[in-house]
Amino acid sequence: MSNSSSSSNELFGYVAEFSSATDLYHAAEKVRDAGFRRWDVHTPYPVHGMDHAMGLGKSWLSALVLCGGVTGSLTALALQFFTQVSLYPTVVQDKPTNLFTIPAFFPVTFELTILFSAFATLIGLFALIMLPRWNHPLFNSPLFSKFSNDGFLLVIEARDPKFKREKTKELLSEIGAGKIEEVTY
Amino acid sequence: MAGLKDGDDYRDGERFKIPALLQLLCLGVGGGGTLLFFILRFAMPEKAGAMGYSWLFAVIFFLSLAVGGLFWTMLHHASNSGWGTVVRRLMENLASLIPFMLVLGLPLLVSFFGFRDALWEWFPKREKALHHAEEAAKSEMPAYVAERKAAVEKAAAAVEAAKKELAEVTSPSPGHRVHLERKIAELQKKADVLAKEDLSEEGAMATLTDKHFLHEAALLFKKRGYLNETFWWIRQIFYFVVLAGIAFLLRGWSLKQDRDGDPKWFRWMRRWSCGLLLFFATAWTFLVFDWLMGLDYSWFSTMWGVYLFAGAALNSMGFLIILLTLLRKAGYLKNVVTMEHYHLMGKLMHAFVIFWAYIAFSQFFLIWYANITEETKFFLTRNTGFWNTYTIAFLVIGHFFVPFVALLLRSVKKLPHVISLIAGWNLLMHAFDLYWIIIPERGPSLTAESGHVAITIPGAWVFDILAFVSVGGLFGFFLLRQLASASLFPCRDPRLDESLNVVN
Repeated sequence: MSNSSSSSNELFGYVAEFSSATDLYHAAEKVRDAGFRRWDVHTPYPVHGMDHAMGLGKSWLSALVLCGGVTGSLTALALQFFTQVSLYPTVVQDKPTNLFTIPAFFPVTFELTILFSAFATLIGLFALIMLPRWNHPLFNSPLFSKFSNDGFLLVIEARDPKFKREKTKELLSEIGAGKIEEVTY
Repeated sequence: MAGLKDGDDYRDGERFKIPALLQLLCLGVGGGGTLLFFILRFAMPEKAGAMGYSWLFAVIFFLSLAVGGLFWTMLHHASNSGWGTVVRRLMENLASLIPFMLVLGLPLLVSFFGFRDALWEWFPKREKALHHAEEAAKSEMPAYVAERKAAVEKAAAAVEAAKKELAEVTSPSPGHRVHLERKIAELQKKADVLAKEDLSEEGAMATLTDKHFLHEAALLFKKRGYLNETFWWIRQIFYFVVLAGIAFLLRGWSLKQDRDGDPKWFRWMRRWSCGLLLFFATAWTFLVFDWLMGLDYSWFSTMWGVYLFAGAALNSMGFLIILLTLLRKAGYLKNVVTMEHYHLMGKLMHAFVIFWAYIAFSQFFLIWYANITEETKFFLTRNTGFWNTYTIAFLVIGHFFVPFVALLLRSVKKLPHVISLIAGWNLLMHAFDLYWIIIPERGPSLTAESGHVAITIPGAWVFDILAFVSVGGLFGFFLLRQLASASLFPCRDPRLDESLNVVN
């Protein structure tokens, strides 16, 4: 990773600490209204309604899962129909080998639908959150480590088009941030 | 318009005022229809059998909705849920209709109306077989007793003879003695067994009746421990006490909490629900065994109980969604129920669409694959004639695929009118499901003795619709009264605040 060298002091963004989940929630609403796009919050536990406060849209993950599921169903049906109906008609227990063999194929279809959906969920999730990766600039911040303990943190990244070095810092203190830390690459 | 507005006090809840016209309509349709149905029953006694199936179909449909309401109430308590407190009273009200529906089912259970013997053939068949067996036993008894007594005497004589033989042998070898002693013991054993038989009049009658009963109707004889009238009535009382009792208890505690706000009731409901779920499951499982699986006593499926449970839970949730939408349309619960609740209820409905399909398919699949004659009977009947098309159109596509795909989208679950429409569709499919369970038995059962077995009874569908509308009208009437008898949501429940602000 070219930009992870510690010698470069290019700004990654700001980490701001808030005193409670409620404060963070309201701060998130304000950052959302200010029009920022490249930002996130980090809390020790899930905060109900935070997605709404952050103005997050619906995740694409469910669409990926649907694609995975449909692929699974079609794969299973194609595999079974092709091998056991068209290629080599297999008569089991005097059951027909035509469209009405389908009940026999349901368990496999069901399982493959679940399996492919699960794969799509896992792989899709990793792709969407860009994991795995070796490191993240946020780990350079001592304040950030509080997120898994008692910190309610809001991070605004410098690559956000609305980001201005001074103004954004002012905005964060205005909306009630306690400690604000600059994070560099 | 009634209903809470912003800033209103929630502590006293929200009262429902029955729309007078609607109440009158429900009572008119329900009461009038029921009256007409029973007048027709006595005007056309030859149709009594066919009408029994219609009444069973109507009663079990609305009973299943009420039982589903009880399930959701209990599940809500047992799982210590917070999301649905605002809609819990609707579930409780739905559950409180169980006793009314069971009373409406009473005409099916007594032989007076001629429904019982037409629905559950094991009643008349068992009676007939038992009667024949008793007749045969009576005529055979004197000869039998004499024969058995002679056999007992003969066996005793054989023992005596053997003993005498031993006594008469002078200085037997040890081997010979042992041989003779063994012979005596064996004969003695035989004689004891024979002597044990009760050869009094009652004893001989019982033995002979059993023998002839087995010969006349082997299946009914083997199942006599379960399929007999005494145990039948014990079970019916059990169902009533358990289902109506739990509904009464849980709603009662919930109403008490409305009045005094004591969290003790909340804890009681939670604590009792867990254990009572066991009784609930037993009662509903065996109720549908008796009422629905018993339509053909020679058929059985271990998945029957859970199959009917899945349908009840699914459609009860659908009914709650529709009820909620109608109430909100009339101006109630506006500030209490949010789209989040709709979303949650929609998700539960979706889950149960899948659960129902899973159970229904599993039941079919195992029977289809195993292909054992006594099991395939059920599906064979339902694959004959137009029932085949019916199964695929309404159960496979209508009951599963359509709602499954429709409910996949999240946005659909947050639109009250759209989700109510899907819930309405589900209810329609539930009616088709129960129709499919009950009605295919009607033709073959009623015409079995005529020699020419018919798939359907022509014209009987009129009674099906009449019964459905009548019971539905009464169901609506009782529901309106229950809704109005208390606040529309548990207004002093400790979990109310959590439920009001639920986000998912």
